[in-house]
Amino acid sequence: MTIWWLLLLLGFIGATGIAFIWLIVKVGGTAKPAKKATGVDSIQEAADADVEHIFNEDFREELRNRGRLHFEKIIGENAMFLQQDLRLTTSQLNEYMKTEIASKLKEEFKKYEESIMDAKQMAIESIQKTNAAIDEQRALLGQAVQKEIVAEKQQLVQRFEQNMTDIVNHYVISAIGNQIDLNDQLEYILADLEANKAAMIEDITNGA
Amino acid sequence: MAHESADQPQLVLPLLVVSPVDVGRLIRDVETLDNLLMQYDLKGATHEAKMPKVSLLLDSIIDANKLDLLVPAQRQRLLAFLQSVRTQAPVLHISFGADPAASFIEKLMTWLRREISPQVLLTIGLQPNIGAGCLVRSTNKFYDFSLRQNFTKNRELLMASFQEVAKT
Repeated sequence: MTIWWLLLLLGFIGATGIAFIWLIVKVGGTAKPAKKATGVDSIQEAADADVEHIFNEDFREELRNRGRLHFEKIIGENAMFLQQDLRLTTSQLNEYMKTEIASKLKEEFKKYEESIMDAKQMAIESIQKTNAAIDEQRALLGQAVQKEIVAEKQQLVQRFEQNMTDIVNHYVISAIGNQIDLNDQLEYILADLEANKAAMIEDITNGA
Repeated sequence: MAHESADQPQLVLPLLVVSPVDVGRLIRDVETLDNLLMQYDLKGATHEAKMPKVSLLLDSIIDANKLDLLVPAQRQRLLAFLQSVRTQAPVLHISFGADPAASFIEKLMTWLRREISPQVLLTIGLQPNIGAGCLVRSTNKFYDFSLRQNFTKNRELLMASFQEVAKT
């Protein structure tokens, strides 16, 4: 639309220039001196002389000036129209460009906003999934740790129960071990030997 | 022993002779004495010569069996008895938590010689970690009479006591 307007305007300026040149050529052609009449054409010559008298050089100069002024006026008016058209075209072009750029920018911004929103949504979903996975892992880890603690506790208790006799024995030995005299133990040692006497005799008698 | 004659009384081991090492030492002492008296005999010394000074162990076995070692036959009898003891006597190994005193060993040997065998020998070991009681090893068997074993046997009782304490 704008290009057509521009071409039309250039065409109008070109036509105006051609018309101006034609007018100058035309005016220059009329300013040539008329051929002198010879013989029978005296009336015609007289008429021509009158015409020449009426349309003398001053009158012609006046006409030229008027024509020049008119032409200048037309040129000025056309220039003014051209200027107005140019301004209008420029303003329309500006408006058009503004509108186009605004629409394009709006469209691009809309796409950009949509892509930003999509990215944001994806990021939110990813974060939510990550949070869910972390919560799940945390729960699993908590359960595993709890299970491990219970197992460790049970193992400790079991180990304590298994080694309790050693622990008590160690404690007794550490506490009173040096104070137990063997003579005091003799009665118990002999009682144990007495209880196993038959087996010992059997082993001594029939052993290798 | 089986090879001793039936009319002679059985020789006895004194309580001082405890371990196979003591028996070996006695054999060595008897052999030394036998060699010494044989030297006297070869030199033409009278049999009424005084008995040389002997070790405490040998003295104890002489006293216990009323032996006259100036008589070669009795020396040979003692030597044969000791050798048979060294090869055939049962040996018990007993470990205690502390080094036992001589009186303790004497009482223990008295019981062992009376109840187990008159010729039983004893080797004594040291196991400080058993605390109280003893570990007995015979020819083929092992007996744990330690305090630890006693605790292990009565583990349920110990557990019940701990649980009662834990409840309170």
